[in-house]
Amino acid sequence: MMTPEQIEAFVDASASALALNLQPAHRPGVLRFVAIAAEMAAVLDTVPLDESVEPAVNFVPVPPAPEVQP
Amino acid sequence: MSGVDTLVLGAADAMAQAVRTGEVSATALAQASLARIEATDARVNAFTAVTGDRALARAAALDAALAQGDEALRASPLLGVPFAVKNLFDIAGLSTLAGSKIERDSPPKAHDAELVRRLEAAGAVLVGALNMDEYAYGFTTENSHEGPVHNPHDLERIAGGSSGGSAAAVAAGQVPLTLGSDTNGSIRVPSSLCGVFGLKPTFGRLPRSGSYPFVSSLDHLGPFARSVGDLALAYDAMQGPETGALRDAGCLQRPLEATHAELAKGTQGLRIGVLDGYFRRYAGAQALAAVDAAAQMLGAIEVAHLPLVEAGRAAAFLITNAEGGALHLSDLRTRAEDFEPLSRDRFLAGTLLPAAWIDRAQRVRRVYAQAVARLFEHFDILLAPATPCAATTIGQEWFELNGQRMLVRPNMGLLTQPFSCIGLPVCAVPVWGEPARGGEPAALPIGVQVIGAPWREDRVLRVAAALQATGVAHAPVAALTA
Repeated sequence: MMTPEQIEAFVDASASALALNLQPAHRPGVLRFVAIAAEMAAVLDTVPLDESVEPAVNFVPVPPAPEVQP
Repeated sequence: MSGVDTLVLGAADAMAQAVRTGEVSATALAQASLARIEATDARVNAFTAVTGDRALARAAALDAALAQGDEALRASPLLGVPFAVKNLFDIAGLSTLAGSKIERDSPPKAHDAELVRRLEAAGAVLVGALNMDEYAYGFTTENSHEGPVHNPHDLERIAGGSSGGSAAAVAAGQVPLTLGSDTNGSIRVPSSLCGVFGLKPTFGRLPRSGSYPFVSSLDHLGPFARSVGDLALAYDAMQGPETGALRDAGCLQRPLEATHAELAKGTQGLRIGVLDGYFRRYAGAQALAAVDAAAQMLGAIEVAHLPLVEAGRAAAFLITNAEGGALHLSDLRTRAEDFEPLSRDRFLAGTLLPAAWIDRAQRVRRVYAQAVARLFEHFDILLAPATPCAATTIGQEWFELNGQRMLVRPNMGLLTQPFSCIGLPVCAVPVWGEPARGGEPAALPIGVQVIGAPWREDRVLRVAAALQATGVAHAPVAALTA
């Protein structure tokens, strides 16, 4: 689990990398919600996952539109 | 009250039948709905736009076609039925707000959303667009730009969200039918708090084309109504594959699997379980009493345990936070102050989450769905409360749940989130029983979730219809006396 100091460092570095200029009024709320997200990520870490488990995101290749016959 | 003013507070199927037989015109019905909106919406604040001219033109066209003997039109299941949609559905000529201030700058849409088009093809008449939480990220519809939606059954209380206007408009008798979206509970939570029926179909069932997205991985669209029969009529009218070139990549384009004719089959032969553990731990006295009343009526005595539910909820939370934040990164960089103050910091946080967390969330979602599928080898239907408690007051930040203090806005959906995470079809049915204990007021409704295996909306609606038929669940129009 991340410490409050780690969350602050992470938020500041990530926001900087994304060119997201966090305003002072927004920063405490952002820290709070990243902390909640970290708690959620810790819950996920308790679930054993075999490497064969694929993400539940499907992609369907897109074929070209059929040619119009003259 | 005139006949049409009474009719407009009733069921959609009765309205369609009245137009079909010539008892009332579609124009009179549209006028009655518009008059009801005019008379009540200053108190409810469900609507952000009323499309009166469009509705009256559409109704007049229906009446003219009927007068000319258009028998195919006369058979339309929703003939002349007024309806409204959450303002994340495209409406030709209007900007699609998705509850935001920012989208007020976006150009008007050229076309209606696919589901709006399908309902109108079934004879319905669009009367307006409905209030919601900004970009669908919330469970209370305390929209700072438009003002909060007021619960028609107690105007001091929230309607729930994010489709708060959709539930409130039905509860207030403004329209008999609305559409909303549900990513983590945004149909089922407001259904529960406003005392109406709401259907979240299976993920990938109804096309989302022409609607403003929130979380592509989790977004569902579905109807609200005051009867299960009306829900089924609308749901059936919206099913089927898309035919246009631009299609919803998340829609599986399945053929129509009609449900309305199935409702009369009842619950005979269905194996119904009552979820325990998480779903009783996070439910207050009134929510538990509602589920128990439904279970008793259905003769459901077997307890079921949903595996990996905490992990499933965590997965949905992270996927939502990350996808939702990323979608708005550009505006969050340049005009964060224009976002809803109640959800802005969550959007900002979501942009920052590590990719490894989100990838793991999608993988846990996979194993969670597989585990729940095994549970459905033993059950056809599962029951659970829709919300931990009845509607809280507008502006309230915390609620007490079994001795635990919890934030209202992120937690009102903690009982719905585990099912949308894996796309199960769910109907929320409103129950008005006396609270068994505690201080929740008896006059407020609370919803019970009727949950089915993927693609079994027919079973979900059959059970919901049985609960309505026996009087355990019902959706009265609010008195609006306060």
